[in-house]
Amino acid sequence: MEEAELVQRLGAYAAAQMPGARDVAVTEIARITGGASRQTYRFTLVWTEGGEARRRGLILRRDPADSLIDTERRVEFEAYRAFHGGEVPVPEMLWLEEGDEALGSPFFVAAEIAGFQAGTGPLWTAPYLESLPELGRRKWTILGQIARADPVALGLAAVLPATRAEDVWRRELDHWEGVLDADETEPLPVIRAAIRWLRANPPPPAQKVAVVHGDYRTGNFLYDTQGGIHGVLDWEMCHLGDPLEDLGWSFNPVWYFGQGKPGGLLPRDEAIAAWEAASGLVAAPDALKWWELFACVKGQAIWVSSARTWLDGANRDPILVYPAWALIDAQDRAALKVMGHL
Amino acid sequence: MTPAVSQVLADLAGRVARNAAPNIPAADRAGELGLSALLLGLAAEMWDGAAEILAQENADLRALLAAGAKVWGEDTRRRWLDALSQGRDESLRLSALQSANGELKVALIALHAELERRDDPEARALESQIWRALVAASDRRRLSGSPV
Repeated sequence: MEEAELVQRLGAYAAAQMPGARDVAVTEIARITGGASRQTYRFTLVWTEGGEARRRGLILRRDPADSLIDTERRVEFEAYRAFHGGEVPVPEMLWLEEGDEALGSPFFVAAEIAGFQAGTGPLWTAPYLESLPELGRRKWTILGQIARADPVALGLAAVLPATRAEDVWRRELDHWEGVLDADETEPLPVIRAAIRWLRANPPPPAQKVAVVHGDYRTGNFLYDTQGGIHGVLDWEMCHLGDPLEDLGWSFNPVWYFGQGKPGGLLPRDEAIAAWEAASGLVAAPDALKWWELFACVKGQAIWVSSARTWLDGANRDPILVYPAWALIDAQDRAALKVMGHL
Repeated sequence: MTPAVSQVLADLAGRVARNAAPNIPAADRAGELGLSALLLGLAAEMWDGAAEILAQENADLRALLAAGAKVWGEDTRRRWLDALSQGRDESLRLSALQSANGELKVALIALHAELERRDDPEARALESQIWRALVAASDRRRLSGSPV
């Protein structure tokens, strides 16, 4: 869809959601690059209400033709909505559209949280360098708060598929092994060995069935120069499961960004301490190791799917090639490291 | 390297040409060209050594399968490993090397799983060799900007 048509149809959609508004229009629309699972745009909505001119910065997240991660956008929308207004900072959700009529594919619109960084590019340079430890403590404290949250009280138990504490590991491993079976473009001896180890050495039942963000890593939150976090983003893989899954994913060595520590931010023991203090849970080393190796399998499944999506031709966005080229060997190395071979 | 470098370069050529048109929104153009540049940089780094890396890896895999054929008791599997271990890379096209590499890795995965089921010193020793080969292969493929 051409940008002019998108602006016109988005404006018409917004006008229909705002019966008290007049002269509703979309301005200053710009694509935010980098997302492989959704197309993201920043725009300003202008309108007149009660004789007064108003404007608000908003974000549009639209499904592309073939996304890197197959998820229901309702899951992402409801996860944001559940946490909004609480201690876990997230943007406010406004509208969810699951049909194709309005914009040609499903989408949601959220309030923009302006003035902060999300990308990792500037993180290891001034003026962010001095606040990295504080940012790290905040990062794993928020992850602990997500783990501590009650899915029933948040209303997420009604949206996300139920699971039992003793079954969560098998469900997740089955799912991501299935993705590898379906999408693998070349045999992966390291990851297949990791899967055999995971099945032979299952973790203990989850301490609780918690909300799992699913992609909690540096680069998926909005941060400032003082170590503050103002919005946790990218909830499309949110599900109920073992809270150690998120901790293990955050420790995936591909998210060290060459800085030699988790997330490129904080020594591992300090990250675990912040998470345990905020969650009230324990990160038992053997169980955590299982979820760290699982994170390598999950990561590899996502990078392999990226290559498969590009090869199948439905979506030839170059962002799909990048993880296949830059991360598949790195993810193998991460798995070798977690298994003690590197 | 999947998708193949040749396929990606062909796609990027079309993409760069399309982005030369004056009606492309500036943000879209910046995003597409920035990513294209990133991929071109990766291709440049991978391209020169790609054939050598695959040829070396295939030779290592054949040596492991030859060793595996000597210790695997079951006849059909032993003959399978033996036949693969005696193969040669007749063509140095990346597509041919990659295809042979895939076939050899399927056999390696089967051999590795078989060795894990056993508890004799012969199996343990060959399993250690497999891990060393997997680390060496990963070292050879490692990109300069790799996070791990």
